[in-house]
Amino acid sequence: MQMLPPLERKNTGWRLFLMTVLGRSYPRVVGMQRERSWMFFDIFMPLLAVSAYVFVYRAIGAPEEYVGFVVMGGAMTAFWMNVLWSMSSQLYWEKEQGNLALYIISPASMVAILLGMAVGGLFATLLRAIAIITLGSLLFNVTYVIASFWQLIAVFSLSMIALYGLGMMSASIFLLLSREAWHIANLAMEPVYLASGMYFPVKNLGFWAAAAASIIPLTLGLDAMRQLVFETGPTLGFLSVKTAMAILALLSVVYLFTARRLLAYIEKLAVREGRLTENRR
Amino acid sequence: MRRSVNFRSFFTASWLGWQIESNWTDPFLFATYSIVKPLAGAGILVLMYSIITQGQFDSPIFAYLYLGNAFYQYVPAVLSGVSWTIIEDREHYRTLKYIYVAPVNIPFYLFGRGVAKFITGSFGVILTLAAGVLFLNVPLDWSIVNWPLFFLTMGLGILMLALMGLLLAGVTLMVARHSYFIGDVVASGFFLFTGAIFPLEVLPNFLRPIGYILPITYWLELIRRALVGTVAEAFPTFTMLSNAQLLIILLVSSLVFGLAAIFVFRRCDHQARERGLIDQITNY
Amino acid sequence: MNNGYAIQTENLGRIYKIRNNRKEAARQLVALQDVNLEVHTGELFGLLGPNGAGKTTLIKILTTLLSPSSGWAKVAGIDVDRRPEEVRKRINMVSGGETSGYGLLTVRENLWMFAQFYGIESKEANQRIKTLMEIVGMADRLNTKSSDLSTGLRQKMNIVRGFLTDPKVLFLDEPTLGLDVGASRDVRSFIKRWMDEDHGRTMLLTTHYMVEAEELCDRVAIINQGRVLACDSPAHLKQTLQHEAIFQVRVYAPQLIVEEPFCQIRGVQDFHQKTEVDAVRLEIILEEEAVLADVINELARQQARILSLQKREPTLEDIFVQLVGQRMEEVEHANVTAS
Repeated sequence: MQMLPPLERKNTGWRLFLMTVLGRSYPRVVGMQRERSWMFFDIFMPLLAVSAYVFVYRAIGAPEEYVGFVVMGGAMTAFWMNVLWSMSSQLYWEKEQGNLALYIISPASMVAILLGMAVGGLFATLLRAIAIITLGSLLFNVTYVIASFWQLIAVFSLSMIALYGLGMMSASIFLLLSREAWHIANLAMEPVYLASGMYFPVKNLGFWAAAAASIIPLTLGLDAMRQLVFETGPTLGFLSVKTAMAILALLSVVYLFTARRLLAYIEKLAVREGRLTENRR
Repeated sequence: MRRSVNFRSFFTASWLGWQIESNWTDPFLFATYSIVKPLAGAGILVLMYSIITQGQFDSPIFAYLYLGNAFYQYVPAVLSGVSWTIIEDREHYRTLKYIYVAPVNIPFYLFGRGVAKFITGSFGVILTLAAGVLFLNVPLDWSIVNWPLFFLTMGLGILMLALMGLLLAGVTLMVARHSYFIGDVVASGFFLFTGAIFPLEVLPNFLRPIGYILPITYWLELIRRALVGTVAEAFPTFTMLSNAQLLIILLVSSLVFGLAAIFVFRRCDHQARERGLIDQITNY
Repeated sequence: MNNGYAIQTENLGRIYKIRNNRKEAARQLVALQDVNLEVHTGELFGLLGPNGAGKTTLIKILTTLLSPSSGWAKVAGIDVDRRPEEVRKRINMVSGGETSGYGLLTVRENLWMFAQFYGIESKEANQRIKTLMEIVGMADRLNTKSSDLSTGLRQKMNIVRGFLTDPKVLFLDEPTLGLDVGASRDVRSFIKRWMDEDHGRTMLLTTHYMVEAEELCDRVAIINQGRVLACDSPAHLKQTLQHEAIFQVRVYAPQLIVEEPFCQIRGVQDFHQKTEVDAVRLEIILEEEAVLADVINELARQQARILSLQKREPTLEDIFVQLVGQRMEEVEHANVTAS
C-alpha cells in the first residue's frame, strides 16, 4: 500500500487564484487574532494623530468643515498604509524569511499573493477607517450631508481598485529591492499625504500640482467623497464628481493592467539578476 | 570594567547603527529621503495654515506650530531609532540572541543604535528650520537665541526621548512585528498631547493633564523659548512658569519617565527571556 | 517528459557581479560554468561539493529562481527560463535551515497555506498533512505554533511541505541540516520509500554528507568551483579508486608529525592527519600497497608509534580528493580565505 497516494487533482486558473488569495490572507487574519497589540498601534494611535490635525485647524480658526476633511482624510490613510505596508513592502519581509522564493516557485501568481496580503489586512484597515470616521465624527461633531449614496459607493470602490492596482505596481519594485524598499515606502508617506490633500482640499495646491497628484487614486477619491458628504464640499472640490469617477475608472484599468505586466517583467528581471533570494543589505 | 562595558556597548552600537542607516542605498536617494520626508511633513502644516489664514506667516501661532513641528521630528526619530532595533535585530538580521549572549549592556546598546536615527533626524530638523527661516519668515534671530538654555534643553530632551525609546523597546520585545515603525506610530499619537503644533489650551480640559504629564511638552516649550523667546511666551499655557521652573519640571518628569522606562524594560526583558521571545519571528 | 529526462542542462553557466562597496568596480564571480547534466525520470540524483561549489546556484536555476547567464536548462522537458510558470506546476523545493512560514500559525496551518498555492483542495491537503506528519513523527505537533518548534522539528515541517504537493521533480538542498541522527535516518528512509513507490518521481539532492549521498543516490555529480568534475553512480565512482590503497593509521607521536616528507614519498597520493584526544589519525591514499612500507619507515623516523592500521574502502570523499587534489574542508577553507 502506498504511504502517500499521488494527488488526483490540482486546481489551476481562477480556482487556483482564489485559493491563493484565501491562503495568503489567512496568516494575516489569524495573526491579528493571535497578537492583538496592533489594535493599539494601528487604530488607537492613528486616531490620536488625526485628532492632532483637527486641533491645529481649531487653533487657527478654520471653518468646521475642515475638521470633517481631516477626519475623512485620516480614515483614508488607513487604506494607503495597508497598500504600502501590508502589501508592497511586505515582500521585503517575505524575501528575508525565504517565503518569497517559495511563492515564486509555486504555480500561484504574485498578483494573487499580493491580493491575499491586502485582503488579509483589510479587516484591520476597515476597522481603523471605521474607528476614525465614527469616533472622529462623534468627538468633533462632524455632520454629513450625503448628496448621493450610490455615487459615494462608486467613488470609494473605484478609488480602492485603483489604489490596490497602484499598490501592486509598487510591490513589483520591491521584488528587486531589499532594504531600499522599506525606506522608499517610508518616503512615500508624508509626500503622499501632502500631494493628495489628506488634510486639506487638494485644489489649494493649484491646478497643475493637483492634476499631477491625481495619479494617486486617493487624491481624486478623497476630493470626490468630500464633495458628496459635506455641504460645502462642492465649492472646495478640484474636479466634479463625475469627472473624478471617470478618471478613477481609467486609473483602475491602467494600474491593474500595468501591475500585471510590471509584476511579470520585474519578476523576470529579478530572476535574471538573482535578486529574489539575496540579502544585499 | 562596568563603565567600559557600557561605553563599549554604546559606541559599537552607534557605529553599527550608522553603518546600517547609511548603507541601504546610494547617496542620492539617501539625500532625497532625508530632505523630502521632513519637508513634506512640514509642508502639510504650512499648507493647512496658509489656506485658512491666507498666508499670515508673521503670526506668533505660525512660529509656534512650525518650530514645534520641526523639533518634534526628534521624537519619532529617537523613539524608532531605539525601539526598532529590537525588530530589526530580531527579525531581519537575526542577531538579537547573539547580542543578548554577548557581554553587552543591552539598554546602552539600544541607545547606541538610536544615534544614527538621531543624526538623520537632526538633518531633517536643520533643513526644516532653514526652510522656515528662508521662505516663511519664521522669526529666528541667532543673536537673541538663548544658547545655554537651548543646549541644556536639547541634551535633557534627547536623554528623555532615549529613555522613552527604551520603554517602547521593552514593549516591542513582547509584541509581534506589525506593519510600521512602532516608534513613529507612538510619536504620532503623542503629537496630540504635547503642544507640538498647537497650544495646550486648544485641547479640551479633560485631555490637558496628559500633556502636563508628558515631558515632551515641556521640552518643546523650552526649545521654543530658547529660540524665539517672547513669541513662545505669547501663549497662556505656561506663561506663569519661568524657564528655570520649566527646566525643573522637565528634569523631574524625565526622571520619572526614565525610572518607569527602566522598570518596564527590565520587566519585559525578563518576561521575553522567560517566554523564549528573544529569537521569535512574528512575520504574518 | 522529454526523452525520459527529468532534468537536462547544456553548457549551463551563471556569473554574478559582486561589488563590496559603491566605490569598487564590480567583479565577476563565476558560480557555474559548462554544466552538462542529464537526470533520468525516476532517478535520485545527488550533487556533492564543498561550500561555494555552485550547488545552490544550480538548484536556484532549475527551480526558476535564477536565470542562467549561458546555456540552458530543462526540467520535466520544459525550459526553466522561457516557461517558468509551467515548470513551477511540477516542482517543489526544500532547503536546509529554512525559516519559511509564519511563526504565529500552527504547523498544520502553515502547511495548509502552502498547499493552497498549489491548488490542492483543503480536505485532501489536510489528509496529506496528517499522513506526512505521522511519517516524520510529528503527529502530535500539528497544532503547535511553528515559532515554538526547535530547529530540527522546523526542518521536518519544511520537508513535509516539500512532499505535500506531490511534485514530479523535487529539489532538496541539504535537507537533513539541523536534524539529529535518528531524524536524518527517518528522512532518508522516507525519501527512499517515496521514490520507490512511484518511478515517475525524480529527486535532486545536494548534500555535504557523503554517507547520505552513497546511501540514497542512484548517481552523483561531484561539483567544485562551478564545474562538474565527475558524474556516475557511487559504486562506479569508487571503482576508479579500487586499484589504490586507502589506509587509516592511528599513531602516537611525541612531536608534531611533519607532512612534507610523506608527500614526497613516491606513490603517496594524499596524506591527511587529524589530531584526536590521545593520538593522531592519518588517512593515506597510496597508488599501491607496497608504498606502505616507506610510509611506516617515515613514521618510525619521526618517532611515531603505530597504535592501529587498517585498510578501508574508498569513499566519495576520496574521489573528491582525487579529482580536486584537496579535501572538501580544505577547499571550503580556501574559498572563505579568498572571499
